[in-house]
Amino acid sequence: MKKTIQRGLFTGALVLLTAMTSKPAHAAVNYQALVDADVKKFQGYFLKEFPGVKLEDFGDGVYALDEDSRKQWKEMEEFPPYELDVEAGKALFNKPFANGKSLGSCFSNGGAVRGMYPYFDEKRKEVITLEMAINECRVANGEKPYAPKKGDIARVSAYIASISRGQKIDVKVKSKAAYDAYMKGKEMFYAKRGQLNMSCSGCHMEYSGRHLRAEIISPALGHTTHFPVFRSKWGEIGTLHRRYAGCNENIGAKPFPAQSKEYRDLEFFQTVMSNGLKFNGPASRK
Amino acid sequence: MKKVLSLLSLLLLTPSASLLLAEPTAAPAVSSPLIDQAEAARKEADALGYEWRDTGALIQSAKDALQKGQQAESDKLASQALFQARAATAQGQYMAKNWKMMIPKN
Repeated sequence: MKKTIQRGLFTGALVLLTAMTSKPAHAAVNYQALVDADVKKFQGYFLKEFPGVKLEDFGDGVYALDEDSRKQWKEMEEFPPYELDVEAGKALFNKPFANGKSLGSCFSNGGAVRGMYPYFDEKRKEVITLEMAINECRVANGEKPYAPKKGDIARVSAYIASISRGQKIDVKVKSKAAYDAYMKGKEMFYAKRGQLNMSCSGCHMEYSGRHLRAEIISPALGHTTHFPVFRSKWGEIGTLHRRYAGCNENIGAKPFPAQSKEYRDLEFFQTVMSNGLKFNGPASRK
Repeated sequence: MKKVLSLLSLLLLTPSASLLLAEPTAAPAVSSPLIDQAEAARKEADALGYEWRDTGALIQSAKDALQKGQQAESDKLASQALFQARAATAQGQYMAKNWKMMIPKN
């Protein structure tokens, strides 16, 4: 009898001890802390690589690295080639739909919402980008969506970016689903692909600041701050996902469609990496 | 005589007219074992998200060559596509396991 009581007490103590020391199955993981550690490493890489460049200047892309290029760019920005697109974007933003509403009815703050995108929608379990939100607003109001790479989508996005200049990037990763999307974007950024077996990071981290023929390769830090851009090569304004597709083609990989999950996750990751910088789009680039 | 002539011309025109008016039939499926292999491999690479840029175009060119009766050229193009698709799949499988090794350290 005594032995039975002793055994019972021992087992009870063991169960209690296990319960006290082990983590509960639902223990909350601090995903934001994991991501913040990544941001610190990522930004630290560039600050070490380019010791003369301040963190906030990485939003200027390659023009933060090379003084001559910066002077030329500054001159170009005096009469920016995207100015007419911004004006057109403003008109499109305020133009009434057939139902009498407009894009303006979908966005708060008079449309100065660049700083709210991209974000992870916890209900839909996916990343929502600004261009996606613009097109979803149109569809919800019975209009056709814009083509996703250039033209009106880029013009409206440019207008929204222009009235949002100076908004701080502060993308949050709060849940496992958001972290999964972030990790998918991270994988997309670091994994090598295509016939040339190259990755985003290969060019825009390891080779950033070096020459590719006559051009200097831009740093990945700050990549998402200034889109949409008017590229001299395009001769027009285009979206970030258009640029992603161009990069993928350049390395011999089949590009994903603009606003695909792959590119939205990549944009999510890249924007998180620029947390602390300011949105400064639209911009002109070579 | 007039009736006979018009009947004759009707008879002559009927087959050609029916040919002209007929619904255009879909082009016959062009394929070879090599093209089929390349297409299956391309789909595998695509499912991984690692398809290369030119693989689909190579397969299409192989089909075009086959349609023109250029069997050897078609096989050559399909073989290139097959090689690309297999390499892309291997790349995708490797990267899925090892992408974290690609993160630069400084």
